[in-house]
Amino acid sequence: MELLAGFETAFTWWNLLYCLIGVTAGMLVGVLPGLGPTSGTAVLLPLTFGMEPISAIIMLSGIYYGAMYGGTITSVLINTPGEAASVITCLDGYPLAKQGRAGTALGVAAIGSFIGGTISIIGLAIVGPPIARLALKFGPPEFFALMVLGMTMVVGLMGKSLLRGVIAAVIGLNLALFGLDPITGAIRFDFGKMELMNGFDFVPLAMGLFGISEILSSAESKLKAEKPPKIQGLLPRRGEWRTTFAAIMRGTGLGFIVGLLPGTNSVIPAIMSYSLEKKVSKDPSRFGKGAVEGVAGPETANNSYCGGALIPLFTLGIPSSPTIAVLLGAFIMHGLTPGPQLFQKNPDFVWAVIASMFIGNFMLLIMNLPLAGIWARITMIPFKLLFPIILAVATVGAYSVNNNMFDIAVMIGFGIVGYLLKKVDIPLAPIVLTFVLGDLMEGALLQSLTIYHGDFFALFTRPISGTLLVLSIVIIVISVVAGIKNKKGAFAQDVEM
Amino acid sequence: MKNAGALVGFLILIFAGTLFFQALSFDYYSDYGPGPGLFPLWLSGLLILLSIAYIIDCYRKNIIQLKDILPKGAGLRKIILIMVSLVVFYILAPFTGYSVAGIIMLMILFIKEYKWYWGLGISVVVTVVLFYTFYSVLNVPLPVNSFGL
Repeated sequence: MELLAGFETAFTWWNLLYCLIGVTAGMLVGVLPGLGPTSGTAVLLPLTFGMEPISAIIMLSGIYYGAMYGGTITSVLINTPGEAASVITCLDGYPLAKQGRAGTALGVAAIGSFIGGTISIIGLAIVGPPIARLALKFGPPEFFALMVLGMTMVVGLMGKSLLRGVIAAVIGLNLALFGLDPITGAIRFDFGKMELMNGFDFVPLAMGLFGISEILSSAESKLKAEKPPKIQGLLPRRGEWRTTFAAIMRGTGLGFIVGLLPGTNSVIPAIMSYSLEKKVSKDPSRFGKGAVEGVAGPETANNSYCGGALIPLFTLGIPSSPTIAVLLGAFIMHGLTPGPQLFQKNPDFVWAVIASMFIGNFMLLIMNLPLAGIWARITMIPFKLLFPIILAVATVGAYSVNNNMFDIAVMIGFGIVGYLLKKVDIPLAPIVLTFVLGDLMEGALLQSLTIYHGDFFALFTRPISGTLLVLSIVIIVISVVAGIKNKKGAFAQDVEM
Repeated sequence: MKNAGALVGFLILIFAGTLFFQALSFDYYSDYGPGPGLFPLWLSGLLILLSIAYIIDCYRKNIIQLKDILPKGAGLRKIILIMVSLVVFYILAPFTGYSVAGIIMLMILFIKEYKWYWGLGISVVVTVVLFYTFYSVLNVPLPVNSFGL
């Protein structure tokens, strides 16, 4: 019933329009080089300032999952992934295009993305409310332990080096300390600057770390626009249907489950799906030469991941990836508190956003199947024209957060920081994730310590918080051992989004 | 210093050290419970230890030379141009208003890539569209000059 009410809100003409704008912007972000979903969502976030929270989140979510669709087009047609999750699609998508089957690759990717995206949103609608009800029983110790677990998974699963991942996470936490103390209200680290009394704002920080640093990195390499091949025949051959459908279903399950884990990104399910398809295939030698399952599985998995990744955000208030962290920032900016109470206090909001995702996925299916050729032509926009425009949007966007020039300086500063950190292989994603959680984590820890009169080890005596903290320790130990043995496997892919 | 990793490590160490010494001036614990200094002291202390470990790692195992990661030629020029354009915008906007500063920023970026009239045209169109969207539609009080631009 609640979902039906959500559809009623999502079907209003303005929300449909914002959904369309969101998914179109997401497609553009995915198609155009030099801008990933995280930077795209961060740069476009200020555009939602004047909107109703429901419309704003509908639009921003549209950018998020729209980018997953868009990234496929460039991977298949010109062998250049528009966003990180589509890297794997190049392996078989581009060979298919060279065989004159670009249409099949794009068609299968669009159908798989639609099925994966839709089923994972159904999963979100089914699994979300019970998890939120369970999380309502959580006190500060449980939330603190949960955030610690999320952070350990961020640094344990991502990054080539555990040390670099931990440094990034702790930098993010330290940056979150600036401004007001969440419990006493004392002002910290303002260095005499009035603008720092409230700490760093999330939007300019994310825009700098992801948007500006990405532009600086792209400016180093020569990104040339290539003429895409012609697109014909969007469906696979009759004999390929069964294996393709099986790959889509496996990708759906895999993407959804990985999405539930904090600290993952959409690249991980795509890689896992590709290796799974290769393993179950009767003839693995076809992979890398144009296997349709090699496109269907990963593309489905990265879209299914999107729905799964929204569950920790909606139910626990914990972002599982950098793009979700930007969405969390948007929630807070629009006066919403993601977490277990969201389903209770703002059911109209939650269900409208979920309903809009069904609609958005359908819009994307239409945009991708008959209109794939038009999107392909957009890849011809040269980077030299594109990046100055992105910079102009970013500067005005950063300014509009608090209507002051200081935020532009913050954005430029963090752009340089992000660029430098990328150069020395320090991942940026943990910085943003821990920055967003820092305040909440400090608040939960200090409340817990107040309850237990300063005894930190008392947190281990509560069943849930104790289990989560022990699990965190186990993950750290496993990561350290794996790091020493240098066997971090597929998860060691340090791909920024 | 030729080791880029170590250089970044030292910068992180300075950042962490600054926060640590500042954190010492906050209450660690009060009669009512943990004070505003507790979390910062632990976190900045942890970052100090991690940055030292990172610097050692950069010298012993993962050596990244500065010359290997510094951009060269056209790439370097483009990066400098981007930084200059952003700084110019930041300095000019409060005095000249958003529109003039925005056009100058974009012109700096387009000047090498397009003929000057094309560069100017694109810069004006992009700036006007953004100014109208944010100033008039979204009601963001962008800095303006005496002409209201």
